[in-house]
Amino acid sequence: MSSPSPTTDHGAQPAVVVDNVTKNYGSRRAVDGVSLDIRRGEFFGLLGPNGAGKSTLVEIMEGLRRADSGSVTVFGEPTWPRNTGLLPRMGVQTQSSAFFVRQTVHEHLRTVAALFGTDRAAVDRTLEAVGLGDKHDVRVDDLSGGQRQRLAIASALVHGPELIFLDEPTAALDTEGRRDLWEVLRGLKAAGRTIVYTTHHLDEAEALCDRVGILVDGRLVVTDEPQNLIGNSGATSRLLVPLGRIDEEQAAGLPGVEDVAVQGGHLVLQTRATGRVLAALDPLTGLDGVQTRTPSLEDVYLELTARPQSPLASNNQEQS
Amino acid sequence: MSAYSALTAAGYRAQVRDKTTVFFTFAFPLIFLVVFGLVFRGRSVEESGFSYLSYTAAGVLSWGVANAAVFGIGFTLMQWRSDDILRMIRLSPAPLTAVIGSRYVLALGVGLVQSVLFVGVAMLPGFDLVPDSRWPLLIPVLILGITTFLLLGVIIGSIADTPESVAGIANFLMLPMAFLSGSFFPLDAMPDWLQKVSMVLPLRYLNDGVSAALTGRGDLSDIGWGSLGLVAFAVVFGAVAARTFRWTKSS
Repeated sequence: MSSPSPTTDHGAQPAVVVDNVTKNYGSRRAVDGVSLDIRRGEFFGLLGPNGAGKSTLVEIMEGLRRADSGSVTVFGEPTWPRNTGLLPRMGVQTQSSAFFVRQTVHEHLRTVAALFGTDRAAVDRTLEAVGLGDKHDVRVDDLSGGQRQRLAIASALVHGPELIFLDEPTAALDTEGRRDLWEVLRGLKAAGRTIVYTTHHLDEAEALCDRVGILVDGRLVVTDEPQNLIGNSGATSRLLVPLGRIDEEQAAGLPGVEDVAVQGGHLVLQTRATGRVLAALDPLTGLDGVQTRTPSLEDVYLELTARPQSPLASNNQEQS
Repeated sequence: MSAYSALTAAGYRAQVRDKTTVFFTFAFPLIFLVVFGLVFRGRSVEESGFSYLSYTAAGVLSWGVANAAVFGIGFTLMQWRSDDILRMIRLSPAPLTAVIGSRYVLALGVGLVQSVLFVGVAMLPGFDLVPDSRWPLLIPVLILGITTFLLLGVIIGSIADTPESVAGIANFLMLPMAFLSGSFFPLDAMPDWLQKVSMVLPLRYLNDGVSAALTGRGDLSDIGWGSLGLVAFAVVFGAVAARTFRWTKSS
């Protein structure tokens, strides 16, 4: 569930303003007229299939690439050309390859901290926060995939930036590591930091983000709170009733039920009016053993990103 | 700690922890010294009165120092860009001068150790090099040489995207240049037109300066012209390097 966001300041100047940004690579339009405001203290998720233009858009926001047209400002300042006054206020998660060679974890992060003019105490604090507190003296080349990812995230956080860009930060983590990182991210948000992140984990975006934007073919097709997206999508909830309690015909006749099917040991009722159906079911069968499946952000996402010309698109996505 | 000192410290640690590269950086010029020493033992170059070794010692030293400067920064920049380390630095407020400056100090350190080792071995019985009284002038000449060839290495490290292409481009430039600039055998032994060709090669000027300072061949004006030539090449390489430098793979 998306947590309430007391730290989001709706009145102040936004953290990021993207205004009608377009970027072409040759004849291919990677980003197509995207406009977007990200508020201070907001946790913003940028979602979309591979090749939708997420990385390009994020790199334009970070000031690594120049937009062909349109503008990007961060805290009211342009990010292009390289703005060294602004860079200390931003933190960008590095690739897991971006480690200084033949250094220990502590030496690497110390070097990164020095690039930002940050002191050593911040290095110890940050390593502790990402769960590498006991790995100070391990060479970066000897870290596991998950540990490398944590160190890459630490590289983005060590100088205490106000705006943090994270690129699939939980991709190489196991379930436990993922949940640990969620806590780190929630802590950053609670401290008033603005977070922009891309992910392929829709459950994660739903759990963490105040708002998500979905990018399809370079266009931002929707920007909203996950719960609003789900509520407005018209996706149905499913009620699972153990077989034998009620027959299919009887179920189809209940007020609010749109479709009935048998799946495994359950009768599955599709509805947009969960409350009404439950109220009608209660006197007939009781509600013991009845399960409710509400639609998720994933359902909405798949609906929005489905491409009519290629029905297999969602199955064919390559992991980059 | 400043970005510059942190990058220098990280670079130093990376360098000394890579024992194989350390060994070959310093052993390479020495091997040439030994080989040439054995081949030309006791012979002197016609009419000049200087021993063959005094030619090759200066030439091999300047080639070895130039080679280390080119390869060191060439590989580092290529690798840092390929690993996205340059991208990370680009996203920090650290200036490019901190990156290049830290590599410059490391290259000067490598050059210093190379020179001391090389001259020390060349003075051993059997090689019998006797440094000229002008030898302290070797220091500014070598500093200029390292500066020039480091900037050439910046260009190579910015153009090349793989270790193979760094090695390919750098060898393509440095090996023929070593022969054409008189590092491995005396320029006097080459046809006139080839001697003229050598005037457009930066190593020729480093050779001239180093031999005048180390072995006393030529006079102070040779050191002056050598230094001027190196400065001119450094300006040109610096201008090209500033245009070819890339922070990321895709830019």
